[in-house]
Amino acid sequence: MSFLSKIREVMICLGAGQVTLPYPVAAAEPVPERFRGRPLFNAAQCIGCAGCANNCPAREILVFDVCQEVRIMKYLGRRCTYCGRCADLCPEKAITMSREFETATQTIPDLQQNLELFMSTCQRCGRCFTEPGPLEQLMLKGYRFDALAEERWVYRSQAHLQNEPLVRDIDIELD
Amino acid sequence: MTAQPILDAIKQKFGTAIPRADIPANNRLFVFVEPPALKPICRFLFEEQRARYVIGIGSDDRPFSGQFLVAHNFAFDPQRLLCSILTRVGPENPAVESVASVIPAANWAEREFQDLLGIQPRDHPYPKRLVLPDGWPDGVHPLRKDVPWNHCPPDYDENREFAFDEPPAGCLVVPFGPFHPTLDEPAHFRLYVEGEMVRGCEYRGFMAHRGIEKLAESVLTYNEIPMAAERICGICGCVHNVAYVQAVEQAAALAPPPRAEYIRTVMLEIERLHSHLLWVGLACHIVGFDTLFMQSFRIREPIMKAAEAISGNRKTYALCLVGGVRWEITPELKAQLRQVLDRLETEWKPVAQAVLQDRNLQIRTRGIGVTDPELVRNYGLIGPVARAAGVDIDCRRDHPYAAYDRVDFQVIVADEGDVWSRLVVRVKEVFESISIIQQCLDQMPNGPLQLSLEGELPSGRFGLSSVEAPRGESHHFVITGENNRPRRWRVRAPTYQNLQGIPAMIQDQQLADMTITLGSIDPCFSCTDRLETIDLRSGQQRVFAPEELVQLARNFRKTP
Repeated sequence: MSFLSKIREVMICLGAGQVTLPYPVAAAEPVPERFRGRPLFNAAQCIGCAGCANNCPAREILVFDVCQEVRIMKYLGRRCTYCGRCADLCPEKAITMSREFETATQTIPDLQQNLELFMSTCQRCGRCFTEPGPLEQLMLKGYRFDALAEERWVYRSQAHLQNEPLVRDIDIELD
Repeated sequence: MTAQPILDAIKQKFGTAIPRADIPANNRLFVFVEPPALKPICRFLFEEQRARYVIGIGSDDRPFSGQFLVAHNFAFDPQRLLCSILTRVGPENPAVESVASVIPAANWAEREFQDLLGIQPRDHPYPKRLVLPDGWPDGVHPLRKDVPWNHCPPDYDENREFAFDEPPAGCLVVPFGPFHPTLDEPAHFRLYVEGEMVRGCEYRGFMAHRGIEKLAESVLTYNEIPMAAERICGICGCVHNVAYVQAVEQAAALAPPPRAEYIRTVMLEIERLHSHLLWVGLACHIVGFDTLFMQSFRIREPIMKAAEAISGNRKTYALCLVGGVRWEITPELKAQLRQVLDRLETEWKPVAQAVLQDRNLQIRTRGIGVTDPELVRNYGLIGPVARAAGVDIDCRRDHPYAAYDRVDFQVIVADEGDVWSRLVVRVKEVFESISIIQQCLDQMPNGPLQLSLEGELPSGRFGLSSVEAPRGESHHFVITGENNRPRRWRVRAPTYQNLQGIPAMIQDQQLADMTITLGSIDPCFSCTDRLETIDLRSGQQRVFAPEELVQLARNFRKTP
């Protein structure tokens, strides 16, 4: 019995032949259509709603309001899990999950993406966007000042810009 | 069967001690009891009603009701019921009567709420620290709501050592782990060895505990948690993802669309396939049979590719959101998946035939790490470990979720309870999984993938969900809350229970059999500890003093 099973095992191995690919000497096999690689941000399409930043499970997207007209969005790319929620929630389809997976690097800024966005002004703050869904909320509304230098989320947003006097008629609901 | 007869039986005996009971669905029962009645009722359920102990949960409910909450969850497998016995205890010096002396399976769960919430289990047989690290100060309980999620206790004592037990007379201590060639993750066993024979052991684990439950309660939101839950485990991630989402859906009384249920079933079974093939390979590797290890991994590869084609990733499928799934299975993907399954079936048949008659493998695994139904019951062992001991439990059939109530499959049971039986069970379950996926692909109805939700989820509701992971039942408990996130989320991974059976399994066995015995429960320490993995690698060789190493790890920028 056991002898037979040894022969069977030999046959399984011989039948398989060599399956290891010569990667990385040769190019990798193409990835499937839906592959979720490194997300790419298109500044031309982005409206700066920060829906991606507020719903990123890994907190990888930072938002900083320089002034009324300019908002900086920064994708860190360090602990991004490539879940693709940002691409799902983007109302303008400005984020695509690319096919890039060979993203190993010695210098982390290689992975980062910076978007400087021109924000339109409205009579209120210019930061009023509709919620993506009942469970995907814009938790932090109004102006945001994440710590860009330290690359950290700051769990607050403000109703007025930093270094500017608070205008009383602007009253935004904040958490 | 319904929840009513069981509630009636409890009420008949303990009527006055039950202020409230909820039956939100036919297969769920929540009984609120007075604290003094907690132990007698648990004992009654465990001993007289023959319920299976699932998990004990502590929760800080002080901001809402001013009290702590303790729950013991039981499963009535033949009656298809999951039941939770809850009690509220006062905010000052909270304590409950320990049930671990009656139900050994509750040992860890009670020590966990003692560590994390400071709820004292009175008269616990072994009230040692379980989860918190050695240097963590006494009296700081991280899961309490008044402790911030990023709290670093200033009086953390690096030099405090854990007080291990004295070994029994005549025994030597052999340390097994935290880093051991057969373990891919850290866990420390102190084996008491007399000659070659293991006489007992002490376990010190939870080295990878990173507080993912705290994170979920204070930082993440409902639809972010599935992505984090998935990263609890590197192998059965989708199970945690589905179990969490189902628990929330059950709490909020949402029914996902049928197509989403079928897709969940397909992905869960794909995960089981890859996990079982991986386990068979690893088990062979542990006993030194590397040929089959290689072949098993080769056969597994197309499954990984199929998962990647459907979900966009080989392993982390990011499948579920509350109320549905994210990935459609198109007709092309269906055809591709069918091809993969056919190929897998033809390739796995000869392997199964060869393995199941391999004498060398049998000699190495027969009569080792033996469990019996009594041990399974006492320690709440589950999954292939329980089924290999002749205990016929499987959540897919007993507590049907997703589309499992609409497919036909067999629960594989063996009766010897040793490592060999576990291997047999897993090898055969592969064929059942293939058949389940094929049935799902045939029956899958058309329709939406995602339920359209109206407004936020109600708060203060309870949800239970059991999902059969490849290594046993994964159990999630959720209390819904405010600010778009749950108040409490408790994850009970299968290894949490199975690992508690290890001391009994290795008792009076040879030291050399420890590795395969431990391997045979398919241990998953990250699940047990509930971590998110981080990988650090160092290049050159150099000898470091412990303090130096800690410093280096803390200031890690570049490899020296």
